[in-house]
Amino acid sequence: MQQGGTVERRTILKAAGASLAVAGLGATATACGGGSGSGDGTVTIRYAWWGGEPRTIAIKKTIALFEKKFPKIKVKPEFTDYEAFWEKFQTQASGGNPPDVFQNAVGFLRKYDKRGVLLDLKTQADAGNLSLDNFPNGVLANGQVDGKQIAVPVGANTMALVIDLKAFQKAGVEAKFGWTWDEYFDALQTIQDKLKIAGDTGYFSIMYLYDLYLRQNGKAFFTDTDLGFTEDDLTQWWEDGYKRVRSGLVADPKKVEQVKPKSALSAGLAASEFTWDNFSIRYEGEGESDYGLAPIPTTDGEATGQYLGSLMLSAFSGTEHPEEVAQFIDFMVHDPEVGAIMGYDRGILATTEQYEAFKPTDANNKGVAAYEEQVAEAGVLGKITPHPSGADVVEAAFLRIGGEVAQGKTKPADAAEALFSEAKAAFAG
Amino acid sequence: MTLVKEAPVRPAGKRPAAPPAGRRGRRRENLAGYLFMSPWIAGFLLLTAGPMIASLYYAFTSYNLFTPPQWVGLDNFTTMFQDPRWQKSVEVTLEYVVVATPLKLLLALGVALLLAQKRRGQGLYRAAFYMPSLIGASVSVGFVWRALFSDDAVVDRTQKIFGLDVGGWIGNPDYVLYSLVALSIWQFGAPMVIFLAGLKQVPQELYEAAEVDGAGPLRRFWNITLPMISPVLFFNVLLESIHAFQVFGSAYVVSDTRCGPADATLVYTCYLYQKGFKEAQMGFASAMAWTLVIAVALVTAVLFWSQKKWVHYEEAAK
Repeated sequence: MQQGGTVERRTILKAAGASLAVAGLGATATACGGGSGSGDGTVTIRYAWWGGEPRTIAIKKTIALFEKKFPKIKVKPEFTDYEAFWEKFQTQASGGNPPDVFQNAVGFLRKYDKRGVLLDLKTQADAGNLSLDNFPNGVLANGQVDGKQIAVPVGANTMALVIDLKAFQKAGVEAKFGWTWDEYFDALQTIQDKLKIAGDTGYFSIMYLYDLYLRQNGKAFFTDTDLGFTEDDLTQWWEDGYKRVRSGLVADPKKVEQVKPKSALSAGLAASEFTWDNFSIRYEGEGESDYGLAPIPTTDGEATGQYLGSLMLSAFSGTEHPEEVAQFIDFMVHDPEVGAIMGYDRGILATTEQYEAFKPTDANNKGVAAYEEQVAEAGVLGKITPHPSGADVVEAAFLRIGGEVAQGKTKPADAAEALFSEAKAAFAG
Repeated sequence: MTLVKEAPVRPAGKRPAAPPAGRRGRRRENLAGYLFMSPWIAGFLLLTAGPMIASLYYAFTSYNLFTPPQWVGLDNFTTMFQDPRWQKSVEVTLEYVVVATPLKLLLALGVALLLAQKRRGQGLYRAAFYMPSLIGASVSVGFVWRALFSDDAVVDRTQKIFGLDVGGWIGNPDYVLYSLVALSIWQFGAPMVIFLAGLKQVPQELYEAAEVDGAGPLRRFWNITLPMISPVLFFNVLLESIHAFQVFGSAYVVSDTRCGPADATLVYTCYLYQKGFKEAQMGFASAMAWTLVIAVALVTAVLFWSQKKWVHYEEAAK
């Protein structure tokens, strides 16, 4: 018995040792799996983006196209929604393991440039792996920081007013280019009187709209390092906003909250909503009315304060395959077939090759094209507002604190103070 | 009444399975034991103890995940105590704990009392009441809750029947926290099962004797049941309050990940999450985490201290 016991224990000890060794080997094996080179010269790059299902379907098609033309490069897709994307990205990047190529937006450039995450694509362009030509309207500058090209635009978008066409028609109001804020709010009043629905879904919590309003008045939301307005400016903006919530001109925030993730416009709670023009496609899918793009109201009857923003592609500074990554970005922004597949999902296609390759056939895409043409013709487009590091956090805070004002939970003056204090922390971070 | 907290009395004389003779044998046996425990020990050290110690250090630093942490002393704590959103999160969490825990335990005890009596199909009832505890923490139930408490949904319509027209709770900062409280109460099954076990332990003779003495049901409950199950009650209060302090999932899902509207469901862990993972202020988030640990430890200490006054342990002899 005693003897047998010892033998058994020894066997077990060996078994335990063996399984530990196996576990160790397993860990080594996985570690090796992380590397992306292989014997026959094939490399794998990781490509990550955020967005809805239509975007994912389209992007996967473009990846297949790329892999066919570049058989030595395999692309591993990673995708999720916007908020989860940046949480995940931050964690991956801090651990030195972000995707090789990823979708990027203006608000994140300086933050990740400061943290050394973004590859300067200019060097790759100089080496001939990537062309930076044929970007009209100066959108290429959207991806530049301190003389570096840390992102390349895939599209160009601008803020717009999305309106419920049927509601506007029924109320007999019309959105005209160059209309003023007073005219806009008068139109909302008419809609409220005639149709018994709110006019807007909550304009005063949208940072990018406030930016336009400030630009109309000779300021901007950001300077290179700070906020470009005063606490008093913002207090006034939020006081006006809250007044309009109470009068019913702006939809009840309690109801807006409950229809999320659907928009309050497509839920029929209000007749208009400010957003980026390339987002307008969502309303047709969500709501029952017809939706169209209308001009941004102005202060002086002319200037809308608009500029072209961009979704872009960036690369990780520590990627093992900078050359392939540059080739991939080049293909994604210049290849006409890719343009035809992607359409205006990420804004009007940024390069002339792709812009010419896509001829919109549906009402929505036609509308986006017409809108951007109209804006460009009106000559209202200005230079993009700078986005200091932390702009993304400020945008989220603006939305949240604006929501508190709408709910009547925070006084506009206190809310403005809170935003300034949070912004200060965000810029320092 | 004398208190005997724990009395692991082992029958004297016989020891269970004598260990192998000699020091070497014992050491070998210990080694084997540790080896078997090694996955757990490794997990504990790498995934629990290590990160905890690291976060204790980070609590005194400014750390954005990218640049090395910088020692800032107590800055995080002073900023935190002055931060209106932190204060709000403490308020929301305390309200949640103080309202949800007692209500949940009351319901659990009530149903346990009903189910303790022998009746047909009692297994089925117990399973049915326990079920929400198994699924209640899931994300899908969070979505269901969001739907239930929205405008013109079940809760809203039912309220209207009683003339209480407050609209959906989800979008209303004054009510939304109570939808989370309701979700917590709905999961009363786990403490209920523990109560049931406690109720089974109460010696039947006591009730018989009381009945002979002419005690009514209320009196029997107050003077026999409650004192006899007080250790179980203590255990449940402790467990459920600690649990309530750490609520996260339901607040996160029911509020569509924003812990709003207007920060109305900004529970402590949700703010911690936002600070740490959205804003990358890991130092601040670590300071928050350790403050929560200390706060929960204090609450636990107070509960343990208070048990002298109301928890009756049966004497060891039986």
